[in-house]
Amino acid sequence: MLFNSLTFVVFFSIVLVLHYLPFSWRQKKINLLVASYLFYAAWNPPFVILLWISTVVDWYVAKAIHREQRQHQRRLLLFLSIAVNLGILGYFKYGGFLLDNWVALMGTLGIPWQAAGWSIVLPVGISFYTFQTMAYSLDVYLRRAEPAESVLDFSLFVTFFPQLVAGPIVRPTHLIPQFAEPVTANRQQLLWGLALMTLGLFEKIVVADGALAPAAEAVFGSGKAVTMVDAWLGTLAFSGQIFSDFAGYSTTAIGVALCLGFSLPNNFNYPYASLGFSDFWRRWHISLSTWLRDYLYVPLGGNRKGNGRTYVNLMVTMLLGGLWHGASWTFVVWGGLHGVYLTAERFLRGRFKGARVAQTVLFKFGLALLTYFLVNITWVFFRSPDFPTAWRMIRSMVGATSGGAVVLPAVYVAQVVIVIAGILAVHWFMRERVLEEVVARTRWWVVSTVWAAMLFAIIVTQGSGNAFIYFQF
Amino acid sequence: MADIPLRPTPGQPWGKLALLMSLLLVMGMGTWEGYWRSLQYAPSYRGSDGLWALLRRQVDRPGPATVTIGSSRTLSDLNLETWRDVTGLRPIQLALEGTQPRAVLDDLAQHGFSGLLIVGLTPVLFTLPDTGYRAEAVRRYGNESPSQWLGQQISMPLEQVLAFYNFDTALFTVIERQTWWPARTGYQPPLPPVRKLFNYRRTRQADLWTKLDDDAEYRELARDIWREYLNFKPDLPPEDVLRQQFENMLQEVRSDVETIRAAGGEVVFIRLPSNGEFRAVENGAFPRERVWQPIIGAAGVVGIHFEDYPALRGMSLPEWSHMSTRDTDRFTRALIAIIRSQLAARGVERQELTP
Repeated sequence: MLFNSLTFVVFFSIVLVLHYLPFSWRQKKINLLVASYLFYAAWNPPFVILLWISTVVDWYVAKAIHREQRQHQRRLLLFLSIAVNLGILGYFKYGGFLLDNWVALMGTLGIPWQAAGWSIVLPVGISFYTFQTMAYSLDVYLRRAEPAESVLDFSLFVTFFPQLVAGPIVRPTHLIPQFAEPVTANRQQLLWGLALMTLGLFEKIVVADGALAPAAEAVFGSGKAVTMVDAWLGTLAFSGQIFSDFAGYSTTAIGVALCLGFSLPNNFNYPYASLGFSDFWRRWHISLSTWLRDYLYVPLGGNRKGNGRTYVNLMVTMLLGGLWHGASWTFVVWGGLHGVYLTAERFLRGRFKGARVAQTVLFKFGLALLTYFLVNITWVFFRSPDFPTAWRMIRSMVGATSGGAVVLPAVYVAQVVIVIAGILAVHWFMRERVLEEVVARTRWWVVSTVWAAMLFAIIVTQGSGNAFIYFQF
Repeated sequence: MADIPLRPTPGQPWGKLALLMSLLLVMGMGTWEGYWRSLQYAPSYRGSDGLWALLRRQVDRPGPATVTIGSSRTLSDLNLETWRDVTGLRPIQLALEGTQPRAVLDDLAQHGFSGLLIVGLTPVLFTLPDTGYRAEAVRRYGNESPSQWLGQQISMPLEQVLAFYNFDTALFTVIERQTWWPARTGYQPPLPPVRKLFNYRRTRQADLWTKLDDDAEYRELARDIWREYLNFKPDLPPEDVLRQQFENMLQEVRSDVETIRAAGGEVVFIRLPSNGEFRAVENGAFPRERVWQPIIGAAGVVGIHFEDYPALRGMSLPEWSHMSTRDTDRFTRALIAIIRSQLAARGVERQELTP
């Protein structure tokens, strides 16, 4: 079920009413669990079975890991959990990719290999809930947390509908304790939750789908070399689209949870005002970057084993982070570029540590622009369906093509320029600020007017019911 | 719970803040709705993929069924209520505007359709190699999720009361259609989108928007858009490739018609009226002896071309391609009588046409 659908409006209204009726806390949690399964089944009912498999396996495996004292046995149990979760993910998400690459490898070795067709439907949001569930077993294995006491709480942790399909990827230690005691939102939380939902849906429906997606599609889908101006406008449009789409989902999810009285962590913190790439990854898809840090980068040794090993760890983490997004080499290149950026930044920071110029506003502004520029280069690989498209775009962006086509009409140019300028201005203004504090300091009638304007824009845009981009990951 | 960071809530007078927000929203929506109504927009069903899928599923129900497929003329020219009055059975309208209907013909054949199928043949669309504009509707029928189904059910009551809830009045569509955008040097604009032509009923009968009858400026705008389509010169493959594509198409049509007949069904092709510049281009680029007759011949079906029957001519077609709603009753009655007599001439009697 999409947040940006009439179905969700009705669904959420019913969930909200049920949550505030005088049922027992256990009954309310059962209501939320059933609602979460319905939310997921609304796409494709059979795939609910995958949620059940993850739930059952990790529930029992984590209990067994906790009981078991022998390290070898604990490792085997953890391996079982990881094998089941990554096995499901691998089968549905990477099966076709692996098969294609196997066929290609055999071909280069001169061995003709005929593979059967691979037409598996990807269960929506599988990468998100798989990582969330794995974190539970990993935390118990690493003795960071104890197993949940209630199977109902654990099932709800795996399935909690606001963040089930596109995050934030919530840690068990953050969410499971919230299910232990009765919570409902007070009037302020409920209305603030609704306001956050409005902001999130505005980002998705109006900014991402309405204002920016047509320009990005026109450029990346043109199938030909375009002018330098159009290539940059298309890439900038996608940078705004992917942010507004994904941050819009996270903000809506946080608002939905808050309306029910639950707290989800922030997933974005104005990333297009980042000063460098370590800053960017503290602001972009925070729940994934911290997951990768805690369960991959740190176990690999992090920065504790010397500079050379740190660079390798960074690259491995980012390459796998790229592959997490999609079963395609373009995503691997996207992750690889971020790995290179992080590595280079780490090297330069070590070399120029304490330089006074780095403290000036001008330097920071320039660094923010450079970071945004380099991020846009990575978005080309993220958005392009294949390498020929990506190389064609890169060549157009650096002016290495002649006779590129003009594919954007004036209206799209205006939309991209105005909206991207607005996004960058907001990110720069909000860089060191917190949304709640800014809203608190704003006159109440201004907040009312902005809220009404966003709702009005959402309704009159009508929306095409496009799925969120990150659902496919 | 103690160590879990709870989300802060901004300190604001939330009660009166929400009240003012609601008031402003109601005022804004009222103004927006009033604006569109002042331009003759009225609540009507959206011709959405979901509505098409809803009707497509009706075909799967047991019992006699008349189904109409084709393009936008089939939507506008056939009066489904008249058809029901005359035959006792309202056709299930599965035509799709701007779309080649062979995919729907094939879909029905493959799903064992055994009723009466009326195929509207608009030459320029019927001969297209791909399904085109509304292909997503056909896919929606096969892949509709429970959420999409429910969304359609929730949407329809709103469509009946809100004039602005319409594809043509979506904010970014309106922005894009403004005439004050300058032309970018070197930009080759695509063919313009067809403006609003119909008001849909729940049965997917598409009543031609009365603005086309009453408003000369809007009518001329619609004709100007058609002119751009009529003057468009597509890049065509070589002649021998085109001929082979046409032969393949004839075979596909014949195969589908035979499949439907084998299941107990019957198929009738109709060529609905056009006039003005539209008809001139159609007759020039798609002469009936090179398109209509080979298709009818290959399919071995009754084919009813409006030019052959005085009772089907002389209808009002304000923008040359679609019939004024006031003429559809007369046209539909005449058409049913002709279909009956032509089928009878072949010794075919269909219960779907018997009152």
